[in-house]
Amino acid sequence: MLLLPKFDYEEPKSLPEALAMLSELKGNGKVIAGGTDLLVNMKKGTVKPAFLVSLRKVEGLREIGGENGGLAIGSHATVSEIADSDRVGSMFPVLARSASCLGSPLIRNRATIGGNIVTARPAADLPPALIVLGAYVELKGKDANRTIPLDGFFTGPGTSVIESGEVLTRIILPSAPPFTGGDYIKIGHRAALEIAIAAAASRLTLDKPDGVIVDARVVLSAVAPTAIHAASAEKALIGQRPSEELFAKAAALAEGDCSPITDMRGGAEYRRDMVNTLVKRTLLKAFNDARDMKGGNA
Amino acid sequence: MKKLITFTVNEMGYEVAVAPNKTLTQVLRDDLDLLGTKEGCGVGDCGACTVIMDGKPVNSCLVLAVQADGSTIKTIEGVARGDSLHPVQETFVEMGAIQCGFCTPGMVLSATSLLEKNPHPTEHEVREALSGNLCRCTGYQKIVEAVQEASRRMKG
Repeated sequence: MLLLPKFDYEEPKSLPEALAMLSELKGNGKVIAGGTDLLVNMKKGTVKPAFLVSLRKVEGLREIGGENGGLAIGSHATVSEIADSDRVGSMFPVLARSASCLGSPLIRNRATIGGNIVTARPAADLPPALIVLGAYVELKGKDANRTIPLDGFFTGPGTSVIESGEVLTRIILPSAPPFTGGDYIKIGHRAALEIAIAAAASRLTLDKPDGVIVDARVVLSAVAPTAIHAASAEKALIGQRPSEELFAKAAALAEGDCSPITDMRGGAEYRRDMVNTLVKRTLLKAFNDARDMKGGNA
Repeated sequence: MKKLITFTVNEMGYEVAVAPNKTLTQVLRDDLDLLGTKEGCGVGDCGACTVIMDGKPVNSCLVLAVQADGSTIKTIEGVARGDSLHPVQETFVEMGAIQCGFCTPGMVLSATSLLEKNPHPTEHEVREALSGNLCRCTGYQKIVEAVQEASRRMKG
């Protein structure tokens, strides 16, 4: 049986109380949300926090609500709440799809959107979808708050710009422009309880249903130290009329944008090949949705 | 330092002093003597430790007991009504969905939780709902059939 090391545990009743506590702990404290990643790492001995701070008694951190035509999602909303939310499903189906790919039903009932971001795993399911949707993250500290794009939040495997006294409180998704569509596909050895071998999220915005691409976002996961943009693929798409040939060209360029490694889950060469396939397929689906929908679908 | 938690398990109230590093699995087994909940992998991969927490199936090996303070838990011991088994338990027994039995509590809890939410699931939905529960005897076919048969019986 895997045992947890000893630690102290507190449940502050309000955010200011939690932020004061974390600031006093000066890096010895860690926030525990769903615990599906943190407790595994603590059992394996890879992280040893002296103090865990749970925010489960802080109100408002689980809400999924509308904001300026977009959505604001509390960092403690569970992955299953996001996958099952009608609101998320109709406004941002890409996010709902990526949420339903994470772990297993048992894991999704505990894992949180905030946890999936803050752990900064290179193969995490939600970040690629959130980045193509242009998500912002609201970080609160004892003395200062900031809201920054998720794009640029990650600095490497397991690392991000969040500081030790800061708490991720909300994820903000701006409303999608008209004629926008998107998709997320993850490849694993099996459908459940799987960490991605490779994954891609794409979003296309057209100027009109049969028009040209005015915005293109392609984000790749598990093929670089963090989720990355396939920048040359995006550049090749913008301003062009969508076609299967164009998507094939962008997919080939995306192969050059990633830097996969060979590990127990898959070889670098295979991952590169899969990037090509995933980018092509996600773009095709994104285009079909963008063309068919009047807007707000990404 | 131990913390005092109060929670409801199988419709009985409990107050237990627990160390922060004890998982819900450990407290159910060691303090409450509810040995139906199994610990397999301990890292959320196998589902042997499944319990229903506030209406949702979760891996109790990845829940701190202190995080269960104030919650309502159902373990495999709370599924039958007295001597009468739940339809899912009946069909598991009748249809050979139990081999070594280690995964059975988790399988039964994930299955009953599915049928409460979705009384008439397709085969795919059954497989999806059980995808966090591993059976190393590999008896999946009979398990899926037993859940489908239970769904048919519960209809009537």
